[in-house]
Amino acid sequence: MTIEVKDVTVRFGGVTALKDASLTLDRGKILAVVGPNGSGKSTLFNAITGMAKPAAGTVIVDDKRIDDLPAYKRIAWGVARTFQTPRFDPKVTVEEAVLCGFFRLRRTSTMASLLRTPNAAAEEKRFRDRCDEILDDLKLSEFRSQQMSELPMGRVRLVEVARAVANEPKYILLDEPAAGLAVDEQLMLSHEMRRLAERGVGVLLVEHNFNLIRELAEHVVVLKEGSMLLEGTPETIAKNQAFIETYLGSTGR
Amino acid sequence: MQGSRLKLLMPALSVVVVIAVISPFIFSSPFWLDNSVLVAIFSLMALSVGMAYGQAGILSIAPAAFASVGAFATSVVTTRYGLSPLIGLVLALVLPMVLAYPMARAITRLSPLPLSIATLLLSLVLELAIREGGDFTGGYIGLSGIPTLWFAPNLVSMHILGWMLVALVLILYVNLTNSAIGRAVRTARHDPLRATADGVHVPSLLAVYFALSASVAGLAGWLYAHHLTYMGPDSLTMHVSIKIMLMAVIGGASTFLGPILGAAFLTLITLYLPAAETQGMIFGAVLIVVLLVAPNGVLGTDWRTFFNGKKRKSDVARVQPAVGGGAA
Repeated sequence: MTIEVKDVTVRFGGVTALKDASLTLDRGKILAVVGPNGSGKSTLFNAITGMAKPAAGTVIVDDKRIDDLPAYKRIAWGVARTFQTPRFDPKVTVEEAVLCGFFRLRRTSTMASLLRTPNAAAEEKRFRDRCDEILDDLKLSEFRSQQMSELPMGRVRLVEVARAVANEPKYILLDEPAAGLAVDEQLMLSHEMRRLAERGVGVLLVEHNFNLIRELAEHVVVLKEGSMLLEGTPETIAKNQAFIETYLGSTGR
Repeated sequence: MQGSRLKLLMPALSVVVVIAVISPFIFSSPFWLDNSVLVAIFSLMALSVGMAYGQAGILSIAPAAFASVGAFATSVVTTRYGLSPLIGLVLALVLPMVLAYPMARAITRLSPLPLSIATLLLSLVLELAIREGGDFTGGYIGLSGIPTLWFAPNLVSMHILGWMLVALVLILYVNLTNSAIGRAVRTARHDPLRATADGVHVPSLLAVYFALSASVAGLAGWLYAHHLTYMGPDSLTMHVSIKIMLMAVIGGASTFLGPILGAAFLTLITLYLPAAETQGMIFGAVLIVVLLVAPNGVLGTDWRTFFNGKKRKSDVARVQPAVGGGAA
């Protein structure tokens, strides 16, 4: 039960955004991807979720090659994601934004939704109850009827995480979820990620905050200019000279 | 959530209550009954625009075209083949869908403007087809002698039937809007990629939604044909389409009751306008005023914040998906 990314290359015109990237994400594990801006982290996410077309390489989810699957089917296959720049309708309430995440779990037909059959009503209630739980877990309940535009960016990212969690994914790809969060919110988020992993969800995390990574991830992949620089446990990475050079710059020593 | 079912029925209930209050005053006046039926018919068409434009963001310039498909379908089967209007009703619901689905499927991947132009073309082609349809569509002369409905033989019963249909469509529309599909459609309208990340196949979802909205227009056309008992090439033209779009936009396309309010308003002021030529002028003026003052329509505007100093100017760009349709 893994996502296997094998030698994936993504080109945009003449620019190679990602070159021969490989990684394996197990269910129940937290894997972190780090790298400076423009190193291909988000492109990697796009390649996995089908939002960028790889020029080469293959993506295998649970022993099934998904290279030919369109993005929406990959999500339905159980790969949820957030965006680095959150995409949301500013006029929508927090609650509704999270409710949108349940779409792939929908089992009732359009006709049943139109007529609001007992089944459809029960499903809607299930979604709303689960939405309440998720909002509670992420301490978002008190903001539920606020519009997205009224929230600070950090909290918007939390809502995005909540929306991806609502998907009930097997794998969740979080693109810098902790950026702009206060310390206590970060703690809560890492708690949530750990709980997701305990429930058997594979978490792929793009993050700049190395302390958070050290705390959460068992394995780290470092990208530089679209290529894999190195990978290993957070401890070995943190000591690696090449990593320090790229990531922190020479002044970071 | 408690009382959520009542909340879902609110828009339909408010229509029923308003009509129940008005009815005793107009029961004895054929003139007002006739206009009431017309308002109900245009309300249905405007609701179709509300679904397509207000919810899914598809600005179709063909609501009257879909209505005329429904109207001609029932006219042809009832006058030419002597079949029951109920068979006509089925056709009036299904044919617009059959036409709308592939069209939307083919072009929703394009930007909104080409889609609008495509619906415009559909409208023109249909008008042409009706004119050139010979005996089948009645050609330039049109089809007369369309039977009235045996279950609604007079104006009073047509008035009741018309508004019952409006209430019914409203109930279904509200249900759909408050479901996963409704939310997905609004997400897709705002940001298709975001909807994709929720697991939505955007083109097919929008096409289904557009087809449903076309079906509502078809229903309106069915009622129209059996109310007027005549359908001609000039009955439901693009001119009517534009008027219907105005109704939806003025009332508030993304609200539930806005299109109905718009339909009532425009139909009623038409009665008091001196000549057909001035209509365009007045309609244009009303549209400009609405777009300047309240771009989300009369019911789509939060008038409290509007009068308490316009703090959030950027808000006018996006429409709050209607829950309660400003009925609150």
